[in-house]
Amino acid sequence: MSDAAAVSRARTGDADAFRLLVERHSPMIFRVAWRMTANEQDADDVVQEAFLRAYRQLDAFEDRANFSTWLHRIAVNCALDLLRARKRADSRYGGDPEAAELTGALPGSEPQQDRLLISSEMKDAVAAAMERLSGNERTAFMLRHFEGMPVEEIGKTLGIQVNAAKHTIFRAVRKLRDSLEPLVRTNQCT
Amino acid sequence: MHLNEEQLILHHYHDDDAPAAAEQHLAACAECREQYQTLRAVLALVSEAPVPERGPEYGTEVWNSLRWKLGRQPRVRRGVWIPAVAAAAVLAIVFVAGAWWHSRNARQQSVIASTTSTAATQVAATSLNTAAQGDRFLVLVVSDHLDSTERMLLEVANADPKKSLDTSSRQKRAEELVASNRIFRQTATQRGDARIASVLSDIEPVLLELSHAGNNLSAEELSSLQKRIEARGLLFKVRVVSAKTGETELPPTSKGTNSL
Repeated sequence: MSDAAAVSRARTGDADAFRLLVERHSPMIFRVAWRMTANEQDADDVVQEAFLRAYRQLDAFEDRANFSTWLHRIAVNCALDLLRARKRADSRYGGDPEAAELTGALPGSEPQQDRLLISSEMKDAVAAAMERLSGNERTAFMLRHFEGMPVEEIGKTLGIQVNAAKHTIFRAVRKLRDSLEPLVRTNQCT
Repeated sequence: MHLNEEQLILHHYHDDDAPAAAEQHLAACAECREQYQTLRAVLALVSEAPVPERGPEYGTEVWNSLRWKLGRQPRVRRGVWIPAVAAAAVLAIVFVAGAWWHSRNARQQSVIASTTSTAATQVAATSLNTAAQGDRFLVLVVSDHLDSTERMLLEVANADPKKSLDTSSRQKRAEELVASNRIFRQTATQRGDARIASVLSDIEPVLLELSHAGNNLSAEELSSLQKRIEARGLLFKVRVVSAKTGETELPPTSKGTNSL
């Protein structure tokens, strides 16, 4: 059954149709949620909340739209809501001096095309590099890099000026480069 | 003149104003080209960052956690609403009765327990059973309370912040929710359920403000309240706890449910 057909049937109260959508799209939504939250439990919560919101808003879904893209946006917004809720209490990001107000709806985008085979050592290095980012840097980078959100939208989402959003992304990329460039160069040499 | 790091980043994300000029420069300048390639390699490495594995049954697990919540929606749409004060009163009565019954049973059983070890086991079983029934009842009523609270918060969160909000019809509901919220919060604290107690504690000030709002919230008051709801993630917290209490309330059933 196609997504469109499942949505149509779910609207009439067919639980099995909505179940199909949940089972089909949960892994994708989890990946989005995890990249945004960097926490498995939070990501699981976001997955649940995203499907709950989607169910409640099924009537607002336009039949010609892509369900996956629509759901993806809902999930990103749920993740942003969670990050905002956690912002004050969460010290995982090392305290962010910028007052980030996270709101707004998001467009989706294709992931990066340049792919590398990644070793275990590199995985650890990437995780460590991401840990070095502040909350705003991580969010801004994730929204630009993985979600393809325009810088203007990121500014609105974080409640900062466009230029500040741009510089937040610059700082994030610079930190990542500082951490990962030696590994990349080693990889390029071998 | 070389392209600096910021220009390379902008170019990578197609955010630069003159991409053709950048391309031209990169084609001509080996140093910048190398910098750009390194940047792309770093970002490609980040793209490859592994996401924690979820098993093949993950979708089913998500569904099992969700389905009870979806099943509640028609009931919500019908507008069936258990008045919070009544629920709180019933809860209080049940707990008082439960405590009395538990205490009475414990006294009776302790006499028996002094003569046989089998009776001691029965005392423990009775105590556990009573506690479990109390917990199930707490979850059941709190779940309804959270639904009512969520609807109230949604009404406020979705109101136009540029206009004042008529709260005359909501004030009584808010007062009832405050009263029941206090009882549930205290009960959850006593029973050591920090998760529920924490959320109830977070939402209480907002409910209080609504109950004290009179017949009208000015645009400024409304906006301030909306910001508080948003800044503290109250709707999200209520939904998450509500979902988790729901899991306890109604364990997932087998496949083949035919209605939401």
